[in-house]
Amino acid sequence: MRIRTARYIIKEGIVNTYRNILMSLASIMIVIATLVVFGFFLLIALNLELNINVFKELPELEVFCHEELDENQVSYVEEAVKNSDKVAKYEIVTKEQAFEKFKKRLGEGSMILDGYDESILPVSFIINLKDPSQSTEAVEEFKDISGVENVSFHQQTIDMISKVTYWMRFISGIMIMILLIISVFIISNTIKITVFARRREINIMKFIGATDWFIRWPFVVEGVIIGILGAIIALILSGIGYNALEGRFNQDLLSLNLMFFKMLKISDVLAQLMLYYLVIGFVVGAVGSFLSIRRYLRV
Amino acid sequence: MIELKDVTKKYPNGTLALQDVNLKIDKGEFVFIVGQSGSGKSTLVKLLLKEEDPTEGEVNVNGYEVTAMDHKDVPYLRRSLGVVFQDFRLLPNKTVYENVAFAMQITESLPKEIRRQVPMALALVGLSRKANMYPHQLSGGEQQRVALARALVNNPSVLIADEPTGNLDPETSYEIMKLLCEVNHRGTTVIVATHEKTIVDEMKKRVVAINKGLIIRDQEKGLYKDEDKNSQIYN
Repeated sequence: MRIRTARYIIKEGIVNTYRNILMSLASIMIVIATLVVFGFFLLIALNLELNINVFKELPELEVFCHEELDENQVSYVEEAVKNSDKVAKYEIVTKEQAFEKFKKRLGEGSMILDGYDESILPVSFIINLKDPSQSTEAVEEFKDISGVENVSFHQQTIDMISKVTYWMRFISGIMIMILLIISVFIISNTIKITVFARRREINIMKFIGATDWFIRWPFVVEGVIIGILGAIIALILSGIGYNALEGRFNQDLLSLNLMFFKMLKISDVLAQLMLYYLVIGFVVGAVGSFLSIRRYLRV
Repeated sequence: MIELKDVTKKYPNGTLALQDVNLKIDKGEFVFIVGQSGSGKSTLVKLLLKEEDPTEGEVNVNGYEVTAMDHKDVPYLRRSLGVVFQDFRLLPNKTVYENVAFAMQITESLPKEIRRQVPMALALVGLSRKANMYPHQLSGGEQQRVALARALVNNPSVLIADEPTGNLDPETSYEIMKLLCEVNHRGTTVIVATHEKTIVDEMKKRVVAINKGLIIRDQEKGLYKDEDKNSQIYN
């Protein structure tokens, strides 16, 4: 294809979109709606994944002592852990190590620890079980050791998040499929209207020897313009929305001291979001116009 | 060159539009195809443009075997033919100049060529001064001249006019015919389908008369009606 032909085709595509402005806007709206819903689920999924990874890095089972225990009392707990027939391997985490780890996990937020030292944190034991299926009994056993404050068992949390993620993917997959089909249908309907509006012109073009694709391309361009415009607007909306939410969420969480649940920064997800939006917008627009061309544009 | 061999066209609704038509038109000829509405002359034009395919027989146009050709080659067949219709078929939102230039854009001509050819085509039909007007600002005759300029701008070897004067008054019709003659003198084969007796009689060109799908007469320097024969069939 020659450049001037490409220029003609793009110009005609823009003219088509503009002439049929109401239907074009309706189509752009539905693309925006689809992508915003898609983006919503995608962002939740990305954030859950981030947090599930944080949990996965945590030990399977951790026994926390009271923070005020002296060395003797700690060794008593250690003995009990060591002698348990359920323990395959254990590792002690000193107050200093715990403090360092905690600081690291907080990252930027670690300044809230200024003025505190390691004494605020307990000694703990990271435990690998001989048989993971015995975890519930093991948790009970460790809780009964005197001097043990708490036993954390993250597998449950991980399982729960995994389950939530799975169902969310499933539901959002179905919703997005439905929305995509609606988008394609509406875009193809818009193109159909343009085709009808221009059928006289198309007929004339045929008789003066325009090739099929010379006639078709402007309609494909129209669909793609709708898809891409929808994607750009959806990106702006989701970007602004997410950024506002993330700002508040991370701040509130900090003050609530629930810092183990974090949200990704907009800058971490923007590139991924943009790629998805543009590709989906482009494909939806192109598929919509191809459907219409196949059914209504007899050349 | 155009040749139809044993062409029969039957529409799906059962109408027999053409029956065993054999016709040969040489390069540079001027041919009238005459007959009443429904006689089959429009079908003949449609076959040449591959708007319809014959049920039987073979159609050759400008070296294209029309009946057997690939769908994707059809545009190239049509580019070798200039076509003018009764209803002009101009694009209402384009100026006279743009309407003519459009035919060259479609064939992906160089902008330089377009700037050279379009004014020439407009000069030929005498519309240079109205290049920037829109079709609705022109009279019927002028609109048909624009259509003619558009048909000629790509230098087709054959010009097909389907009832070109059907919507025009006699005087304007005569001017269009004069133009068609001039085009023919420049070497373009001209085929005019019409049912206007006065024009055909005046021009004294080859006349192919069709009635009920059959060629009933093919005569050099003919008249609309053949006076030697019974004329009732035309009326």
